[in-house]
Amino acid sequence: MKKDKGYNRRDFINNGVRITLGLTVVGTGAFALTQSTTGKDYVWQIDPFKCTQCGRCATECVKATSAVKCVHAYDLCGYCDLCGGYFKPGAKLETGAENQLCPTAAIQRKFIEEPYFEYIIDEELCIGCAKCVKGCSAFGNGSFQLQIRHDLCLNCNQCSIASTCPSDAISRVPADKPYIIKGDFTSGEEG
Amino acid sequence: MVKDPVNGFITTQPGLDNRGEHAVVADIDIGAYYESMGTLVHELEETWPRFRGEHFDNISRSKVPLIEAFPSDGPEIKWKVDLGEGHAGAAIYKGAVYVLDYDEEERADLLRCFSLEDGEELWRRGYYINLKRNHGMSRTVPAVTEDYIVTIGPRSHVMCVRRQDGDFIWGLNVEKEYNSEIPLWYTGQCPLIHEGKAIIATGGTSLIVAVDLESGQILWETPNTQHWQMSHSSVMPYEFGGVKMYVYSAYGGVCGVAADGENAGEILWETSAWNHQVVAPSPVCMPDGKILLTAGYGAGSMVLQLKKAGNQFDLDILQEFTPKEGLACEQQTPVVFDGHLLGILPKDAGPLRNQLVCVHPDDFTKVIWSSGQTRRFGLGPYMIADNKLFIVSDDGTLTIARPSTREYIELDSYRVLEGHDAWGPLAVADGYLVMRDSKSMVCLDMAADRQ
Repeated sequence: MKKDKGYNRRDFINNGVRITLGLTVVGTGAFALTQSTTGKDYVWQIDPFKCTQCGRCATECVKATSAVKCVHAYDLCGYCDLCGGYFKPGAKLETGAENQLCPTAAIQRKFIEEPYFEYIIDEELCIGCAKCVKGCSAFGNGSFQLQIRHDLCLNCNQCSIASTCPSDAISRVPADKPYIIKGDFTSGEEG
Repeated sequence: MVKDPVNGFITTQPGLDNRGEHAVVADIDIGAYYESMGTLVHELEETWPRFRGEHFDNISRSKVPLIEAFPSDGPEIKWKVDLGEGHAGAAIYKGAVYVLDYDEEERADLLRCFSLEDGEELWRRGYYINLKRNHGMSRTVPAVTEDYIVTIGPRSHVMCVRRQDGDFIWGLNVEKEYNSEIPLWYTGQCPLIHEGKAIIATGGTSLIVAVDLESGQILWETPNTQHWQMSHSSVMPYEFGGVKMYVYSAYGGVCGVAADGENAGEILWETSAWNHQVVAPSPVCMPDGKILLTAGYGAGSMVLQLKKAGNQFDLDILQEFTPKEGLACEQQTPVVFDGHLLGILPKDAGPLRNQLVCVHPDDFTKVIWSSGQTRRFGLGPYMIADNKLFIVSDDGTLTIARPSTREYIELDSYRVLEGHDAWGPLAVADGYLVMRDSKSMVCLDMAADRQ
């Protein structure tokens, strides 16, 4: 019988590099945006410390699939077997669809080594519903969070999500600092 | 040919994470590590001998008056020691502090003994074991008597040593001997010493076992016919209807096990109505037969009413509610004060999230007071000593409040520690309070007369 191929350190490191690169690309895009505009330009962004995961981001964006996506602040993640952002409460700790919180299976769970699991967001599938963010905030470290992706956002004059956000979590931020990520990733501090 | 609309779809099924098989349980030479550095010069009088203290209620009976306000530069820190990452709290016995630490350099679980007054380390006893960080490593409080100390490590290695000098007496590899599954984030159960026996909830092939302290001989084993698993909850002694029992909230259910007599170790009552994935708080057993069971991860709480009918016990479920509806705790066990229950609600408790609340003894969903929107805490410990409530926030801030059944009365607060995840239980004796964050432990001089 053929054994499943394990998820080894090399895969883990490669994934980390890939995620970092992904963020770098986004960051570069934002930088390019900044360069093509003046220093006074602003873009819409969600403050993860104010967000109450109400779910409106998934439905109120003018884009057919919301420009709001879940992003993962890896430096905050506990890499737990039981992830409150991945599993429904009380679910079996297996990848079966019936156990997953995400309605579009946009989170990949990968075994690294005992006792660690990595959780990767597939933004193509993510609809910004915040179910995972809510679970992660309630039972975990809060490493899942919503952000407006500026490669998708139309930067409307009036953000339709912001106008309905019950916690006033969406506001304009300087275009040269377009993301607000929890943890030490964006603050420059080492964890 | 008609195009298959689901062509290319992938079914989301178990096994996609490539989780491997569990590793083979390692043989560990329990007790093999020993280091002696000194002897206790000045013995003190008081004790905080185990998890939740002498009376299992997290209330100190010490007569030493404690401060109710901090000096402007904070409480006097008598000593501070770096620890391996974790949440293990201390026990105190007549001037000695005992903590089960994980030494990340030695890669060993070590029971460390310190002098309470000056923090001098006196001896270490333990065993080598490779552990990876999993929201910390250590999380249990030793059980201490005049002659013995029993510890249980992250992978459920039980160790019994002589209290005075740390001489090794016996060890028990629970995972190996009982085919137990170690709970997520390692073992959180604190061992119990009761009437000359070590009481350990093993899960696995037996649910609970009693071990003779001197010989290490197994005295009785409770059959685990329903295959319940070890939780983070600790076994609580309880006497109801003239019967001594041990109450245990396992993964799978909750039960009462006879503590003595001919039927010692037999299950007196049980129910699987309380069955949750993560259970950390211990059962709160009230004198009138009410038992509060609570857990995090959305579980909420259940209140059982135990009744004795002849030689049998019956159970009624009085209440079952979510964290938004009443008292629920994720990590710490509520404290009973003047018949009322005090506890800090979890993050999924709605508007009262992270607030300290007091609930009515007749209805645990009836919140009498809460600490307010501007006074939220976290997963840290809380206890009562000298009629003062000591509460630790995640960031190491120590708050003093006046326990009351009418309102939240805060006296003072001060950030004592600089770290985070200050979740280890508190210990108080002789006017000294021992607290920790994830990487260090401090001893505070809280005695009012010594200020």
